[in-house]
Amino acid sequence: MKRGYVKSSPHFFRPVKVAFALAVLLLLALAFLVPAPLQEQANLARVPNPVKSAWFLLWIQELVSYSKYLIYLVVLLAASFVALPWLAPGTPPEGATWFAKKRRALDLLALAVFAAVLALTAVAMYFRGANWQFVAPF
Amino acid sequence: MIKEFLKHLFPRAVLERNLTLSYTFCLGGLAFTCLILLVGSGGLLLFYYQPTPPAAYPSILLLESSVWGGRYLRSLHRLASHTFLVLIMMHTLRVVLTGAYEKPRQMNWVIGCALFFLAVFEGYTGYLLPMDQLALWATQTGMELLHIMPLGGALRSVLVPDGVGEAMSLLRFYVLHILMIPGALLLLSALHFYRIRKNKGVLPYL
Repeated sequence: MKRGYVKSSPHFFRPVKVAFALAVLLLLALAFLVPAPLQEQANLARVPNPVKSAWFLLWIQELVSYSKYLIYLVVLLAASFVALPWLAPGTPPEGATWFAKKRRALDLLALAVFAAVLALTAVAMYFRGANWQFVAPF
Repeated sequence: MIKEFLKHLFPRAVLERNLTLSYTFCLGGLAFTCLILLVGSGGLLLFYYQPTPPAAYPSILLLESSVWGGRYLRSLHRLASHTFLVLIMMHTLRVVLTGAYEKPRQMNWVIGCALFFLAVFEGYTGYLLPMDQLALWATQTGMELLHIMPLGGALRSVLVPDGVGEAMSLLRFYVLHILMIPGALLLLSALHFYRIRKNKGVLPYL
C-alpha cells in the first residue's frame, strides 16, 4: 500500500454504506410528512394565472420574462458549463482543494451564477402573482 | 457477482485524507442513493399508472384512495426526485469549487454534465404524468421556454407532436421517463464511477 493510501474496503465502502442508509431512512421518514400535491384534473380550457413552470426551470422563466433574448444567456451558460475544463486557467493541480487561489475568479463567478439562479427561482416562486406582476409573498 | 462488479467500479485504494467528509460531503453518492430510491418507487408506481389522457389522472386517484401505501409511495417518489435534483446541483457546485473537473478528469466532467441535464429532463418528463392542472401547465410553460431556444421548435415537435397532455405527447413523456432517461442515467452513472477509478493515480483525488 502506497503511503497515505488506505484500502477502499472497508475504509471507503463503510462511510458510503452509512451515508446510503441514513439518506434512505431520512427520505422514507420525510415522505410521511411531505405529501405530494394533486390538483384537479388537467383542463386546457382552464388556464391558471400565473402559469408557472416546474421549480427547477423557474429561474429561466423569470429571466426570459424580462426579455426573451435572455434565453441565449442560458444557452451560453450551459455551453460554458460543459466546456469548463478547457476554460479553467493554469496547470493541473496537485490535488483537488476548496477555493484554490489560482481559480479564485472562476470560483467567485460560479458562486455568483449559483446565487443568481437561486434568487431568480425565489422571485419567480414567491413574488410573482397574476399576469406575472410582483406581489408580496405572504 | 453483483458485489464483485460494484467493487470493480471503485478504486482498490483511496487517499486517506480524501475520505474526510468536508471534501466531498458524499453529495454524488447521496444523489445516486436518491436515484436508486426513484427506480424502486417508480417501478412500483408502474403497476397502477395508465399513460393515456383519460385514464392517467383517475389512475393516480385510485392509487391514492384505494391502494394501501399508494399515497405514501407517490410522496416518496416526488420527494426523492426533488432531493435528487438538489443534491446533483450541490454536487456540481462542489466539483466546481474544488476544481475536480480539471484535466485529466475532463471526460468525467462531461459525463457529469450529461447526467445533470438528463436529471433535469427526467424531472421535467415526470412532471406531466399525474395529468393534474399543475402538471399540465408547468409542462406547457416548459415547452414555451424550449420553443424560444435555438432549435427548440424542432425539439418541441419531437417531444409534443400533438399538444401537451394529449395522447402522443403523454406516451412519449412516459416512455422517456420510465425507460430511456433512467436507462441513460444508470449507464452514465456507472461510467461516472468507473472514470473516477480510471483517473486514480493520475491525480491524488478520491
